[in-house]
Amino acid sequence: MQSAVELRTWPTAGAVPSARVFVAIVVLCTIASAAFASWLPLQVSIVTVFLFAGPHNWFELRYFLMRLPVRFGRSRNFFLTAFVGLGVLTLVYVSLPFIYNASTRSEEAWSTVIATWNTALIIWLSALIWLRSKQKSRTNWAWLIPVGLALCSLNWLGPNFFSLAIVYVHPLVALWFLDRHLRRTRPAWSRAYRRCLCLLPLVLVGMFWQLSQSESLADNNGLFWRITQHSGAEVLPQVSSHLLVSVHLFLEMLHYAVWIVALPLIGQAASRRFWNVKTVPVARHPKGFPRLVAAVFIVAFVAVAALWFGFSIDYATTRDVYFTIAIAHVLAEAPFLLRMI
Amino acid sequence: MKVLLFACCVVLFNAPLTSADLRPPTKPAEQKVSEPKYILHTGLEITTDPKAYEAKLQIPQSQLQNFRAALDGAPGNPTVVGGIAVSAPRTIIAGLLMFLAVSVAGVLLARSFGRTQKAIAAIVLVVMVLGAAAIITRGNAGPPGSYRWRNLPQALAKGESTTGGVDIEVVPDDQLSGRMRLIMPLKKQTAPGEE
Repeated sequence: MQSAVELRTWPTAGAVPSARVFVAIVVLCTIASAAFASWLPLQVSIVTVFLFAGPHNWFELRYFLMRLPVRFGRSRNFFLTAFVGLGVLTLVYVSLPFIYNASTRSEEAWSTVIATWNTALIIWLSALIWLRSKQKSRTNWAWLIPVGLALCSLNWLGPNFFSLAIVYVHPLVALWFLDRHLRRTRPAWSRAYRRCLCLLPLVLVGMFWQLSQSESLADNNGLFWRITQHSGAEVLPQVSSHLLVSVHLFLEMLHYAVWIVALPLIGQAASRRFWNVKTVPVARHPKGFPRLVAAVFIVAFVAVAALWFGFSIDYATTRDVYFTIAIAHVLAEAPFLLRMI
Repeated sequence: MKVLLFACCVVLFNAPLTSADLRPPTKPAEQKVSEPKYILHTGLEITTDPKAYEAKLQIPQSQLQNFRAALDGAPGNPTVVGGIAVSAPRTIIAGLLMFLAVSVAGVLLARSFGRTQKAIAAIVLVVMVLGAAAIITRGNAGPPGSYRWRNLPQALAKGESTTGGVDIEVVPDDQLSGRMRLIMPLKKQTAPGEE
């Protein structure tokens, strides 16, 4: 079997908690995240990003490695397209600030640059979906073509809004990963989890009702200004920046909780030995790459430590650098999520 | 084919509904200096204070900056709609892509003719969502502004506050003799038995 490793094969040990415990934890985490995000959005945002941004990337990388087949086989074109697109889009995205600083172009030209990058992203995703649909003969994903074209059209109407939508939608992708993972590993929890997801729009409506009339946050220093801008305060000036930062932080907290806590803990053996290279199929397989995987783990761990060090020295600059480079993990989620659908 | 015709009809008939309640676009060339100049729409709360010695007009600092920007002719805080497609090339590209999207969707819909009812339901749903979004973003969705002010006299008599929308206009000096004027959208209430 050359496709992604079945997660059912993970060894299980110890008592399995009931679905009720799982639901209670999910509901508690959701409500607590919303409460903290609404109460002190700027302060909690700083602490959350400092503590969890790097580790969540480490766990995400490990999860992707666990889903990577030893040999690509029939999926060769899919993974080739995924990795080439990931590399090119990330490089272009990282170079955008340099282009902006170097050029004297107008705001209109800059919007066109952003719209072009967004279009390339949609084309890349469409190509991945098309390649994936070729492997799943029973499904008809043709309707995604007009959806992709419509998204491109909306992107060209408002590139900044489209980019902001990516910022808000990306945290939700983690919830989709968890859903797919639960369906494979804990079917009994899947229904309960989906019921818990119904709580999400209710919490968001509650936050909107509570914070929409609140005063905008004081962004009188560089760091606070960066946080409010990241949440879309400039793109949506009519909306209270308190609401924007709180909603974005709430979604980010859920995102981190899924990657750092939920997904590692579902596979119980992996939860106990997540540092062990041999728990990764690509390293465990006789034809695998244990040294390469170990090197990747170590480099990623050093990067996390460097990120913490950077945050300690100059939080604002490190945050800017992190959220620019972090586009790579946003993009990397797409092919691995498609492999799970 | 019937489905496509139905879809076209729904979209065409939906367009005037969504834009029926829009404020007519203001033509800068026709706007004379001697006429009132609409600046922006904002919220207003009318309340009473028995301890106050003089009537007070409190304006948020951000609103004042918006007034100043509007008077100076500079763009104040842009609206959500204002940030969309201000450039002709981007609008053309967006239009072409939307045309392609609708065309491809139409072809796919025609090919799935067997599932007509589901397709019609999907079309109606999409058009309703688009229409609602258009009304909310482009039109003044909801009851007329005067609705919120209808109980103002009673509220003032009871010492309670009333909140509603207000249009800010700048008027030439000779029309107001240097005073500010607050025009409330209230109709004269007739007593029972009075014509």
